[in-house]
Amino acid sequence: MPNEPVGVLVIGAGASGAAFAWSIADTGMSVLCLDQGPWMKQQDYPSNGLDWEERGIGEFSTSPNVRGLPADYPVNEQQSEISPLMFNAVGGSTILWAAHFPRLTPRDFRTKSDDGVGEDWPIDYETLEPFFAINDRIMGVSGLAGDPAYPYHEPTLPPLPLGKTGNALASGFEKLGWHWWPSDSAILSQEYEGREACINLGPCLTGCAQGAKASTDITYWPAAQRKGVEMRTGCRVREITVDAGGMADGVLYYDPDGQLQEQKAEIVVLACNGIGTPRLLLNSKSSQHPNGLANSSGLVGKNLMFHPYAVITGIFDETLHGRRGPVGCSLWSHEFYRTDRSRGFVRGYSFEAVRSLGPAMTALSGMVQGMVPWGKDHHQAFARLYNHSASMTAITEDLADESNTVTLDPELTDSHGIPAPKVTYHLSDNSRKMLAHAVERGKEALTAAGAVETFAQPLLREAGWHLLGTARMGRDPSTSVVNERGQAHDVKNLFIVDGSVFVTAGGVNPTSTIQAIALYVADNIKKNIETLFDPA
Amino acid sequence: MTETPSVLNDHDFMKALLNLVIPPSESGELPGAGALDLEASVAAGLQADPLLGPMVEAGALAVREAALSQDPDGLPAMAPQDGTTVLEAQVASHPFLIMGLLRYLYPAYYQQPQVLEGIGEPPRPPFPEGFEVEPTDPKLLEILQARRKA
Repeated sequence: MPNEPVGVLVIGAGASGAAFAWSIADTGMSVLCLDQGPWMKQQDYPSNGLDWEERGIGEFSTSPNVRGLPADYPVNEQQSEISPLMFNAVGGSTILWAAHFPRLTPRDFRTKSDDGVGEDWPIDYETLEPFFAINDRIMGVSGLAGDPAYPYHEPTLPPLPLGKTGNALASGFEKLGWHWWPSDSAILSQEYEGREACINLGPCLTGCAQGAKASTDITYWPAAQRKGVEMRTGCRVREITVDAGGMADGVLYYDPDGQLQEQKAEIVVLACNGIGTPRLLLNSKSSQHPNGLANSSGLVGKNLMFHPYAVITGIFDETLHGRRGPVGCSLWSHEFYRTDRSRGFVRGYSFEAVRSLGPAMTALSGMVQGMVPWGKDHHQAFARLYNHSASMTAITEDLADESNTVTLDPELTDSHGIPAPKVTYHLSDNSRKMLAHAVERGKEALTAAGAVETFAQPLLREAGWHLLGTARMGRDPSTSVVNERGQAHDVKNLFIVDGSVFVTAGGVNPTSTIQAIALYVADNIKKNIETLFDPA
Repeated sequence: MTETPSVLNDHDFMKALLNLVIPPSESGELPGAGALDLEASVAAGLQADPLLGPMVEAGALAVREAALSQDPDGLPAMAPQDGTTVLEAQVASHPFLIMGLLRYLYPAYYQQPQVLEGIGEPPRPPFPEGFEVEPTDPKLLEILQARRKA
């Protein structure tokens, strides 16, 4: 039996797809979401067992190539200096994220005007502000109002405790007179809307068994389903189909039994992340769109931006109990966020304090860095690191470069025979200089905090969490893929709401901004439904 | 024709090898990895790993043969210092032996209740009890209150 046509078809149930679906359901249109992954169960997350670290680097790895689960597709990353990371399930990568929740700053939307690099966005912080606020309320955000680095906003809940590690690092920043502030975190410091407060399990990156960390399967989706949104899991979209006029008219997807299904829709919305979205567009070729859907600009899959990360670690004499508490959520610093050309690079980066690793990962990372040997000296070297280290990450702003791309691999396919994405990414000279600067400043901060020894990973390869820029937003159809409302220039009933639409990356985690954009796009559709498909 | 059993399934040899890689601590609080019956799970992990598994297996085979050339009873019969010398000699020509082995051994070792207690951790999973975390230093909060943007 053919599937009934729907009003709105959302592809992808992660951070942006969830927010969009929840909002667009207000229209009363029928809304269907297809996701290639399953619903997750909190009782299955690794922190329920003693083998939590073992599972965290296996079936719960952030890399789809390591996991290789049925819901995953392979990514050819051989030509990339950073490994793309993601999770495929209802909730998407919010299942395995750290839930660090900064917003892009107002200046991040106008880098060309301010610094002569990148492009200005067609929208600004003020446009998104109401949607940041809605999103904070739905996700449940802990933080401290009044950070001078941002326009004033009030997080939903009080900040998470810094713990010994955060207190030590904050005192280091204070000694140096550098900006720092408790992080906005999508983790509950108090019970909130039926979810329990964080109990400091530690391994946020393998799913939160407590449910205190916001992932959209437990925030947006229950509310969206109450509004009538239908979810079909285990469904992998192969291509978006078009009608004779070149408008999107639905998708072809493989159902959980591997059968090819057709689903018609009046509006198609892509929420598949900065790799999955261009992959699907490029795989949706037709006579009307021979270079892939919405690709008359030739920019689909181009301008891929990550956030190149450096990790700087200090060893302390005192015990810090660093693995306890939300791993990525403690404090941030925007001391080096804005352009200062005397530093030798343009734009900047933020620091984030992170808590420490569990024992197995302490030993493994110590081995990789030559600090924890095997044999008779193992235990002593391990004890020097474990519970005695604190780290900071530097999240540097990546500048868009058309040579950094997502394309279709000519040979590699997923389990359904759909071409896999191939990522080509080279670090810019500007990013290298920024990372080097961050390593030195990070060591300075850790030393000020009391570290007796410091060391660094100047570029973390396994750091491609943030997949941005591959279907950028803009007013000019020749230099962008979607307009300022997330609507494809070439296909008026096709919308993109994930990180693909980012014009610049900023130097902070992007999820808060991705979700605000998804809500903003949905709001625009709701307000302009009568004229949505009129010519520009 | 019978298939030759993998060296990774030679339990006596693997116990001895694991005990060289993670020996007991001097204080005796932490057991050696060879005393914890981890060899089967480590071998299973390696045998499912198409990249590291073959490299570790080749290295382990070389270690076993080198040990047998020195002692007819092989690595399990050798004193730790002598076994370490044999292992070190093979690591040079099998650079991924230790790294590959530890990829599976460390996660297996550091989840054992005896080991967790030995490093000062409660021998339980993080959930459902969780952990206490020290609150934010009130002096730091006072500083921030004064710095808040209205």
